[in-house]
Amino acid sequence: MASPLQRLRALHPSIDIGFKALTRNRLQTGLTMLGITVGVATVLAMMAVGAGAQQSIEQQVRAAGLNQLTIKAGNWKPKTEDVGGSVAHQGDAEDTMRLPVDELMPELPQAGDPFYGADVRPIRLHPEDDPMEKHDHPLAWQRLGDLEAGLGASATLSFDDAEAIRELEGVQYVACGVHGNARVHYASPAGEKRWFTRMHGTDLHLLDIKRTWTLRTGRFFTEDEQEEKAQVMVLGSVVAEKVFGVGVDPVGQEIAMWNQTFRIVGVVTSASWVVRPAAGDDEFDAVYMPYTTTHRLLNLTKLNDITVTAASTGEVSVVAKRLEALLRQRHGITVEMPDDFTIVTEATRAITTGGLPPNVAAAIAGNVKELERVTLEQLAGTLERASGTMRWLLAAVAAVSLLVGGIGIMNITLLSVTERTKEIGLRMAVGARGRDVTRQFLTEAVAISLAGGAVGVVLGLIASYLISSMLNWATLVSPSSVLVAFGVSAAVGVLFGWYPARRAAELDPIDALRHE
Amino acid sequence: MIGVRSLEKEYHVGDHVVRALRGVTLDIAAGEFVTVVGPSGSGKSTFMHILGCLDRPTRGQYLLGGRDVSTLPHDELARVRNETIGFVFQGFNLLARTTALENVELPLLYTRQGAVKATERRDRARRALAAVGLTDREEHHPNQLSGGQQQRVAIARALVNQPSLLLADEPTGNLDTTTSYEVMEVFAQLRAERGLTIVVITHERDIAAWGTRTIDFKDGVVVQDLQHQPTMGTRAAAGV
Repeated sequence: MASPLQRLRALHPSIDIGFKALTRNRLQTGLTMLGITVGVATVLAMMAVGAGAQQSIEQQVRAAGLNQLTIKAGNWKPKTEDVGGSVAHQGDAEDTMRLPVDELMPELPQAGDPFYGADVRPIRLHPEDDPMEKHDHPLAWQRLGDLEAGLGASATLSFDDAEAIRELEGVQYVACGVHGNARVHYASPAGEKRWFTRMHGTDLHLLDIKRTWTLRTGRFFTEDEQEEKAQVMVLGSVVAEKVFGVGVDPVGQEIAMWNQTFRIVGVVTSASWVVRPAAGDDEFDAVYMPYTTTHRLLNLTKLNDITVTAASTGEVSVVAKRLEALLRQRHGITVEMPDDFTIVTEATRAITTGGLPPNVAAAIAGNVKELERVTLEQLAGTLERASGTMRWLLAAVAAVSLLVGGIGIMNITLLSVTERTKEIGLRMAVGARGRDVTRQFLTEAVAISLAGGAVGVVLGLIASYLISSMLNWATLVSPSSVLVAFGVSAAVGVLFGWYPARRAAELDPIDALRHE
Repeated sequence: MIGVRSLEKEYHVGDHVVRALRGVTLDIAAGEFVTVVGPSGSGKSTFMHILGCLDRPTRGQYLLGGRDVSTLPHDELARVRNETIGFVFQGFNLLARTTALENVELPLLYTRQGAVKATERRDRARRALAAVGLTDREEHHPNQLSGGQQQRVAIARALVNQPSLLLADEPTGNLDTTTSYEVMEVFAQLRAERGLTIVVITHERDIAAWGTRTIDFKDGVVVQDLQHQPTMGTRAAAGV
């Protein structure tokens, strides 16, 4: 017999009062609600932009690889560094080796130098290999081998190491790598195109590790290709654009390197707006091939580095310890001997090579000793500033419309009090106290503002969706922000309904009853 | 039931002081059916407001059921109105766009224990409507009811919280003679069945004839106070 609505209204007198308030002066009520609706919608959109910004920085920072570790061959730890602290390092072996030797060691011993004697062989010494200096790492000549290929100075990591690491607890993905610089050639119809770029021999798990990467076209190479040591290549988007032109899909084309022909199977680019592909970067101004192919073509057997991701960001240092123990054991390093490898977490690389906004990098650097404890809230500052303008604008709109909506509510409630003075008198006559009357009109005001708020929440959701789809802003509507938006509308109702409600409560019952 | 001692009420209108009541002393016993008559400005409405705890006397004492209510704070007065007094007004004062049943339920929203539960409210309102013979009009809105029916809904509302005192301010002022008599018949019947104390203000002598006592006001004082047998409503009076 009773509809669900009637049953709801029977539930509590306030609910009934609220419904009546909404249906009394429909047009006025609707117009009043509009202000609240716009206000709440903007409040919600504002919070969505803010939360979206926060969430994207969390994702970006995590994607930038806070859980990523790189094991490099060789040990370039400064002697002053205590062995327990694992992250801060000076420079990078490859970088140093790429600099002209003369600049580094102008007084390099040369053949025929009277001090060293006639039989001194002119070798490219590492600056740390000053014979007068004590050091705790293998000498350059001990590390020779793959140096000729320009692949760095030491070769201590093997594919078997990578396989062993794969079995380690807490390790998520493992990719091995051989790196170098190389020139690619492409015989286009318009003439030959060349581009000098980074060459990475890697394995197919790299794509799992690089969470900020996305394939623009094509695919990464497959397990079969890796096993067959196939001459396939994935281009970084910068290389693809420089060699083939912007907007041209190079998949299926052939490109040459080291006088060998490679088939292009895909193009990788950055999925993150924090990291933009740029000429000269190590990731997208680069080409990728299976490390097996690199090994075959360059006749190499060792790896420059092994990239590892920890299953949990909080476990990075634990995993680093395990890796160190494992590799020391595998390489037969005794207790008093130093490591012949270096474990670098991705955050240090992010700081030294860029790719992160400076302030994010600074925030990471400030916490670098215990990186996994960096609270992402601290990092959110960056994006907060980026989305700040948008949010201030929305806040201003929200404030104005909530004010206008609030005044509207005050107005309609005053109207309601005046219209129903006689009713107030009657209610008082049958026993309503001042507070009962106050509550009634506050309930009405809140009912109107909540109804406006509900519509506002829907509009806010739509607005957030439009902001992210049209302006490309990350937005996130959390349940708590919906609650806050409702709370704001209820608060407006209470705030602006208070004065009319008090006025109603202070009416004299006799005067109110006589009111026509 | 009711005792007033040297009741005075003054209003300030601008610089003037209007003395609406100038010392009224009288007692009304439980079960009396009192009609208050007098010309406009005689103070009968003011007297009524004080009896109804809608107003407080400037001076004097008002004892309701043995309790001095003349100095109670507002909230306490509201409680007295809710629990012991039922009001009936000239203009019915029903809430528009609200069913008869819901109108009758209204006082139950303000009981001191908080609002009475919905199902109980409904039951009690039904019984009150039945007492005034409107069982078949429960879901009607005021504008679907005749004047007499509306006033009976108002009486049901006054009854719903089982008060001991029923106050009616010109209850027949907006009604024709036939319906007026119907309404007065309801009062007489309630008094006979429930022993309610009833005070009716009227300026119509024939309405006053329904009561057992007529108090005549003039210029703020009682000029005549007569006990009499009800000359009308014999059907109900026969039961006394």
